[in-house]
Amino acid sequence: MKYKVLIVSLVLLACASAVIAASSNFGTKKRMPRPEEFGTVVINNYSEKNNIAPVVFRHWIHRTKYTCRVCHVDIGFAMEAGGSDIKEADNRNHLYCGSCHNGKEAFGPTTREKVVTEVQNCERCHSLGKEVKNQKDFNSYLKDFPPSRFGNRVDWMKAEEKGLIKLKDQIEGISIKRQAIPNPKDFDIKSTILGMPDIIFSHRIHAEMNGCELCHPEIFGAKKGVTKYNMQDIFAGKFCGACHAKVAFPFYDCQLCHLKEVY
Amino acid sequence: MRGVILFLVVVLSSALACTSGEKGVIPGTQFDVVWEFAPLPPPQHYGNILISRLTRSSTHPPVAFSHWIHRRRYTCRVCHFELNIAMKTNVTDITEAKIRKGEYCGACHNGVIAFAVSEQTCKTCHAGNIGASDGRFSELSEYPRAKYGDEVNWVKALKQGFIAPKKSLINPNFVPIPFERVLRLEPEWNMIKTRALFPHQKHIEWLDCADCHPDIFNIQKKGTKHFRMDYINSGKFCGVCHLTVAFPIQDCRRCHPDLK
Repeated sequence: MKYKVLIVSLVLLACASAVIAASSNFGTKKRMPRPEEFGTVVINNYSEKNNIAPVVFRHWIHRTKYTCRVCHVDIGFAMEAGGSDIKEADNRNHLYCGSCHNGKEAFGPTTREKVVTEVQNCERCHSLGKEVKNQKDFNSYLKDFPPSRFGNRVDWMKAEEKGLIKLKDQIEGISIKRQAIPNPKDFDIKSTILGMPDIIFSHRIHAEMNGCELCHPEIFGAKKGVTKYNMQDIFAGKFCGACHAKVAFPFYDCQLCHLKEVY
Repeated sequence: MRGVILFLVVVLSSALACTSGEKGVIPGTQFDVVWEFAPLPPPQHYGNILISRLTRSSTHPPVAFSHWIHRRRYTCRVCHFELNIAMKTNVTDITEAKIRKGEYCGACHNGVIAFAVSEQTCKTCHAGNIGASDGRFSELSEYPRAKYGDEVNWVKALKQGFIAPKKSLINPNFVPIPFERVLRLEPEWNMIKTRALFPHQKHIEWLDCADCHPDIFNIQKKGTKHFRMDYINSGKFCGVCHLTVAFPIQDCRRCHPDLK
């Protein structure tokens, strides 16, 4: 009897360990976000605690109108979801989302229709798990945009070059205009692995969207060679990965950075 | 009573093993295990799958997908990366509506590149039978031979120009980064010469770097944990492809050339 129980439990143990080994997901491919999901962020610092649906923020809608710099430098949004600790009062005091979502630059908390009726706009942002239709539909709006292999499957830089989108870099009342600093020259970032093409880094391309402040000095030190990092860090969302793992074209598109011919 | 206590102890210890996660040695995966490879299907069915995520709850027959038909024209990266089709059956949320919109299968099966979705062509894919493509298997008979799997040496077939699969659907000028580095993976066992050779370049012909890095293989030296044969045999690491589609694990010497 004892032995029977022992054998049964051993068999169960073997089954359990086999299941564990098979179910842990190391060594397998992770799910890649769908094009419309890429760059979408859920902000839930206080929403669910206050019985409101969390905010679904879509980078792709906002980047059709503004440069990254406007929100992440002038308005001061953190670079990770929930990092800014936004409260409703902040927005109503014209901070964070409320800098633009004030009824002038973009829709505010309420919209007046036909002077008399007031429409609540809460659900346009607090939309997790709700079927909310955006004014811009991902597929139909971006249908004729130049394609890219990954991410939103849109080549945003070409779209801007072609004039399909015009990005605002300054917002009145928020941005304070300074004299532009000339862009430092493009430079190569040497690959540490033999045979891997070097990266050609263009300050000009990056500065158009980000200015200087978004990257320097926090993500990258201001002096060349000061910041040491490797590809593994980038995969983990640091350094280039601060943008190129989440919003900007994803790091899977190797050749967009590893450009230089190997001789 | 004692038996029950013993049973509880065993269950608890297995639960502990569960929570200790990837760090501890998982029981049942010791080196002296004799690997049992899953039996191979007949060559014409190797790499064939039945997709039944939605059809099993409907009256439609499952989709019969044959890898060896598709890999003659497109490299793996086109479907498994650009079109975002997962590397496991029934995981990707493919629906007819999405296919008709040009997603997933519909990226090619649109009447321009390959036959479109229509009432006449339903059954070409919704065949419900793993051997639906058997009749076309003889088309592969001229390709260089291999010993296992679908018995085609696809690497040679590509090199010798029997096939010229496309590298990208979206960017016709796409050229993968050349990377000639061959990794020598030394075994952790003493006295046994079973080193594996990994040629990057042969994989790059079919795959993007990011198909494998960093999800399947970390890029740090010795950074990949649990990179062991038993895990490969359970569908991880090399086993993501080399159990079901790429040449199967039974073909030991193609990776371990020193094996006798």
